[in-house]
Amino acid sequence: MGLEQYKGDMEMCCRCSACKFIPMQKVKGHQYAYVCPSISRYNFHAYSAGGRLNIGAAMLKDGMKYTDKLLDIVYNCQLCGACGVSCNYAMDMEVLEPINEFRIKCVEDKKTHPALDKIIANLKKQGSMIPGAKGKRGAWAAGLKIKDATKEKVDVLYHVGCLTSYDKNLQKLAKATAKILQKAGVNFGIAGDAEMCCGGRAYQMGYPKEFLNQAKKNMAMIKKAGVKTVVTSCADGYQAFKVLYDRFDLKGELKVLHISEYIDKLIRDGKLKPRRKVEMAATYHDPCRLGRLGEPWVHWEGKKIPGDRFVFDPPKPYRRGANGVYEPPRDVLKAIPGLKFTEMTRIKEYSWCCGAGGGVIESNPEFAKWTARERIEEAVSTGAEALVTACPWCEKIFNEAIKESGSSLKVYDIVELVEKAI
Amino acid sequence: MALKKDVYKEFESVVGEENICDDPAIMPAYYSNKFAAVILPGNTAEVQAVVKLCNKHKLVFRPICTGWSGMFPPDIILMDLRRMNHIIEINEKNMYAVVEPYVISSQLQAELFKRGLNFCIKGAGTNCTAMLRGHGHMDQTTSGDDRNHLAIEWVTPEGDIVRSGALGSSDEWFCGDGPGPSIRSILTSAVPPGVTPGVFTKAAVKLYHWPGPSEFPIAGHSPKYVLSEIPANMMARYYSFPSVEKMWQAEIGLGEAEVCYELMGFNAAMVAANITTCNEEDEAMFNRLNKEVQGPGFFVIIAGNSPADFAYKKKVLEKIVEEAGGKSLKTLEDPELEGIIMCQCIRISASIRETFRPGGAFNSIPIMGQRDLTIKWAIGAGEAKKPLIEKGLIVDDGGAFFGWGVEQGHLGKTEIFCKYSPSNPTAKAAVETWQREQNRRAFEERYFASTMGPQDEIGPALCNYSQWWSKVVKALDPNGVSPEGGSLV
Ligand code: SF4
Ligand code: SF4
Repeated sequence: MGLEQYKGDMEMCCRCSACKFIPMQKVKGHQYAYVCPSISRYNFHAYSAGGRLNIGAAMLKDGMKYTDKLLDIVYNCQLCGACGVSCNYAMDMEVLEPINEFRIKCVEDKKTHPALDKIIANLKKQGSMIPGAKGKRGAWAAGLKIKDATKEKVDVLYHVGCLTSYDKNLQKLAKATAKILQKAGVNFGIAGDAEMCCGGRAYQMGYPKEFLNQAKKNMAMIKKAGVKTVVTSCADGYQAFKVLYDRFDLKGELKVLHISEYIDKLIRDGKLKPRRKVEMAATYHDPCRLGRLGEPWVHWEGKKIPGDRFVFDPPKPYRRGANGVYEPPRDVLKAIPGLKFTEMTRIKEYSWCCGAGGGVIESNPEFAKWTARERIEEAVSTGAEALVTACPWCEKIFNEAIKESGSSLKVYDIVELVEKAI
Repeated sequence: MALKKDVYKEFESVVGEENICDDPAIMPAYYSNKFAAVILPGNTAEVQAVVKLCNKHKLVFRPICTGWSGMFPPDIILMDLRRMNHIIEINEKNMYAVVEPYVISSQLQAELFKRGLNFCIKGAGTNCTAMLRGHGHMDQTTSGDDRNHLAIEWVTPEGDIVRSGALGSSDEWFCGDGPGPSIRSILTSAVPPGVTPGVFTKAAVKLYHWPGPSEFPIAGHSPKYVLSEIPANMMARYYSFPSVEKMWQAEIGLGEAEVCYELMGFNAAMVAANITTCNEEDEAMFNRLNKEVQGPGFFVIIAGNSPADFAYKKKVLEKIVEEAGGKSLKTLEDPELEGIIMCQCIRISASIRETFRPGGAFNSIPIMGQRDLTIKWAIGAGEAKKPLIEKGLIVDDGGAFFGWGVEQGHLGKTEIFCKYSPSNPTAKAAVETWQREQNRRAFEERYFASTMGPQDEIGPALCNYSQWWSKVVKALDPNGVSPEGGSLV
């Protein structure tokens, strides 16, 4: 079916441009009204979701007409889903799905991006998203007395993720997570060197087969280990396990939690007590795949009812972003003594992307950093000294952008602050 | 038709490599036609240079803003004004704001609310340019059309920069009629064929007092944003009446009493569309409201400047409605729904949910004039929709129309939609026929002369105005590079 299944959705697009902005009621002024990094950076309507859908509809009708510009449009999109939220405030139609399918079609037609090809080749070879990564995946855990979930019975499997496992600057997040879980007395383990990429980023890049391959391997390992709950500290991993695995009927009864949800629960249950003061003014960035795209998958099958309306039998439930993970990370931050919490303008379901998604950090790092800089400026405008996120990919791109721009803003993952507070 | 390489280079030297594109891949994003190129000028000087080049090479151009509507011939230079997105000035003392074309209404309105001000939000929605001339929900207090366009900066079809009104003689934007040149009659961006050729690069829009909050207290997540509380001294209600005559009696009374911030003659279908989050909910709500209303009706918002002012307005409103036999729709008295529709009308200007969501497309006939007269026409146009509804070609809204008072009812606007699926050519053709026939009827029965009506008959009946307009356009655009064709949305 591919792109074809979204023909009606693409034809519904009325070029209203709502997808370029945060929902209208949430616009607080001239600044920070835009929500789509792609159209904000490249300006031609084709880079907006509306433009993408109209191109998709036209090419479905007249055949794919590949040009360099078309591929530039296709690969300069973070697949962040902000467009879908703004559109679906008023419209009943799929937005992100056809955009993703269009990219998948390009990959099928071998119109790939060389940087992404490289990533995928490495994924097939090494099972990770980090080409050139040296050493063993579980090396960061040496000496930390963490159980091997593939060998010992654990209640919780901590899925660390590729970036946190291999990036020397980000391994601190894995260590902080482990420390928090240990402190709360959780019976958890990691898969160590047996852990594999969740595949989620491959899906965003347009490689569903490679994603499925990873998903199947991961679920086989989980099944074998008898694990019932997976906790991830990466938003991509969270979305892969929670949403994509479910979508492709692989998740079964597995319970999937992001570390921010888990910490929130531990605090509520009195198992974790943030007592030490962390004196700072901080604002929180909602990672796209923990927030709006972390909304659970809704299985649905139906047919369009013939006639004047774009309606289905049974009614089609659209994932409009309302059910993402928004409050748990905020509640955790608010539970940290001394931390002064402020909000940015673009938050929760209409959050501005960090820039790293959709393979953009690999295919066009300059655009990824441009997108991150926009967010950094917004964070600074709140008076915050620190920007807190809940995904290593956000932390990585924010830090890269800060390094270049010379901003004094500090970037933390939520686990780093919790670690300081306990 | 692609531009010759050297011509392309000339345009490129004006806007830079990043801001011009003739790749066929981007064209369907804008429209179904292929353009010679799409150009993104960043300021007035660049617009002027692009226009001059168009004249030099006899290339036809059209500007667009957010791209919601417009008609575009093939092979033209499309000027996408997206990079011109600055609020130049908000002048609180003289009550005007100067904006570039890609400032959307939502942005400007949010800035104005902070200052206790508001402006006319057009029915196209707050997602469209703030510069757009036209009508919308709050016309009762914020008027509409050319009343709200003060001075304008205009790049003529030949590439001259004209600054109208006060701006023509000083650096102020406060008045469209002078002391500089008043060219209101030719500066229009609303309805074809009266669309001024050339490009409006800045406009001063008139500002009005805003009695509401500096920011609405929105809670919840999309698509169900609600107000955590109804702002002080504000209220929204829907009233239905036993007959059109009674509704009109109340409408005129409320206008005379000047108590309504908004008066919108919504029908039940439009209320339902606005307060629901999907098509299925919409249909169920429409059926529910249809049973609840006693006849035609309207939606009002009152906004007091103080508790006493609010109490007075509320009392007058209730008395006038009661005298006309009006009944408040209980469903909308629920504070949650009251808050939703208040925001829909003020912050969003409704639009997308009520027009595009059901079928994906709609055609409309909008008319200005005295409400009592235009309503009579609209009843007939509504009846004429019914066969299309029965055939399943358009969305069933009960044959409804809508309309509202402008400047406390001194003027009025009435409009009627047909919503249909863009994938259904039979529906599209049927709707276009309906549109033609109803415009013709309006003219023949002397309700009004629509610019979408039979031009060959309307022109001669109205002093051959269309010929004069063509002459004006010819004089302004001797090279024929700036065709008429659609509003600047
Ligand atoms: S994708 Fe949705 S929001 Fe964007 S232009 Fe199309 S209909 Fe409007
Ligand atoms: S997914 Fe994100 S970057 Fe891509 S079109 Fe939508 S809003 Fe823009």
